[in-house]
Amino acid sequence: MEAWEVATALIVAYLGLTLLLGVLANRRLTVDVEDFMLYGRKAGFIVLYLTIVATFHSAFAFLGSSGFFYTHGIGFWAAGAWTVLAGAITYVLGTRIWALGKAFGYITPADLLADFYESEAVRVTVALVSVVFTILYIQVQAQGLGYIISVATDGRVSFEIGTLLLLIVAAFYLIVGGLRAVYWTDVLQGIWMYAAVWIGALVLAYELFGGPLQLWREVAQQRPDLLTLPGPNGFFTPGMWIGMIVTLSFGIILQPHMLIRYYTAVDANTLKALGATTPIYLMTLYIPAAFVGLGGAVAMPDLDIPDRIFPELLFAHVSPWLTGAILAGATAAAMSTLDSILHSNMTVLTHDVYRRYVRPRANQAHYLWVGRLFVVLLLAVGYVLTVSTFDLLVVLITLSGSGALQLLPSVVGVCFPTRRTLTRAGVVAGIAAGLVTLYATLVLVPHPLGMHGAIWALLVNMGTAMLVSTFTAAPSSGTIQRVHGEVETFVYGGAEPHARATQGNPAEQ
Amino acid sequence: MPIRPSPRSHLIPRTRDGWIAIAAFLAVFLFALPPVTHTLWNRTEPWIFGAPFLYSALLAVYVTLIGILIWVWRRQV
Repeated sequence: MEAWEVATALIVAYLGLTLLLGVLANRRLTVDVEDFMLYGRKAGFIVLYLTIVATFHSAFAFLGSSGFFYTHGIGFWAAGAWTVLAGAITYVLGTRIWALGKAFGYITPADLLADFYESEAVRVTVALVSVVFTILYIQVQAQGLGYIISVATDGRVSFEIGTLLLLIVAAFYLIVGGLRAVYWTDVLQGIWMYAAVWIGALVLAYELFGGPLQLWREVAQQRPDLLTLPGPNGFFTPGMWIGMIVTLSFGIILQPHMLIRYYTAVDANTLKALGATTPIYLMTLYIPAAFVGLGGAVAMPDLDIPDRIFPELLFAHVSPWLTGAILAGATAAAMSTLDSILHSNMTVLTHDVYRRYVRPRANQAHYLWVGRLFVVLLLAVGYVLTVSTFDLLVVLITLSGSGALQLLPSVVGVCFPTRRTLTRAGVVAGIAAGLVTLYATLVLVPHPLGMHGAIWALLVNMGTAMLVSTFTAAPSSGTIQRVHGEVETFVYGGAEPHARATQGNPAEQ
Repeated sequence: MPIRPSPRSHLIPRTRDGWIAIAAFLAVFLFALPPVTHTLWNRTEPWIFGAPFLYSALLAVYVTLIGILIWVWRRQV
């Protein structure tokens, strides 16, 4: 068999496995919105660990990070800082979000914010930000899948067809199995992608240089500019370093597909354990990515599309069977994030838009079918976006994370009781000002004064939110005491969140 | 901005372990940020365990931060 046939066969086998898991998940599915959208809030440590890491790491980690090391050098090792910070955020913020979700029956991030700020404008704003900016993320993953299929089949399956095929597979198992199918496939994908990137990078390091230590020496001799900051193109300035750490930690965690995962944990200790231990997986995945990117810059310089360095090296230097298995791992990395985004956008559109404003009193089965229709719609939109634009993965993902980052002041306002509270008008004005600033500092005048545009946007957002909140009406005392009281009890009272029956369920009102 | 009767601020730790956790994490995290990264760490030599200094120093910082998170979890801070 030729190399491309073996690689394609292994990817097809992997896709078959994910479809099988989707069908198996369907057998456990009940006609219940919480079961379909939140795994019945019963996710344990192992399942949640692997779904969080597999969702956090995507085509970006597998392809984009190697491409970034290849182009800009060791500065991308800042990735370790944002992955550790993501763990700390999960520990501190994620547990509070979980507690409030359990106490008040929240399903989406908009539920959390709209309930506290007592505002439908907040709900709509958050839902819009959630969907618009994560659709960009669908595009990132779909482009990654297109690369992989195109390279794996040696160009016999086009980028467009490959993208469509994998989008359909992800949508299928989500439609039949709901979040349970996403979680089960993420377990497979999380293990596969981690093994694939490490094995692939080590095999390449030994094949091309005689081992990782020799790889470092060779890079130091031939491309020393890659081993110091700010890198050969001057990209990793201090401002950019800080900006990427903030954007790719808070910005990714605040995206709906990550926030919704916090609601699904079986208990708070599970989330604390995840906060402490997920950085081990998240950070160490970038070690082999450095080998591939930096080693690739020496072994295969002048590549037109740096994001393709990993598959190009594999095809040139590694056996077809191993190449196929590793590319299936890359497919897993992209699909595990893609399915999660499809799911979260479906949940937001069904719960925050359709159920709230179109048909509030339908039965559970009705919402499940509407959700499935939204998946098909999102698949179509994501596909059109993917084949119509073609940018570097990291640029796209940074834009996506920057948008979600604008939710930070409002989420902190809910989860961290203080004597002064942001108001609904302050939150909406802050997000609006942040998004306008984001456009100006990412598109019109990129990264003014060497500081990442997302940081400028966040600063303007916070300033505007605090200023407007000074002059406008705060949420009612009852709501503040109910929500902040729950956080107080959870963090310092040592009690599990109160039962929903005694607190009401604002998310379903 | 209106002042409301609400629980004490959650932005300041209330326990000894909470203070230790915050101080330790923030102090170590500073070593993963400029200016340290772009001055003190920004060189290839001395090589540590066969890897350039910048890479090894940051790896040590990240491992320490993970260690702090695990300590925080074990102490249930």
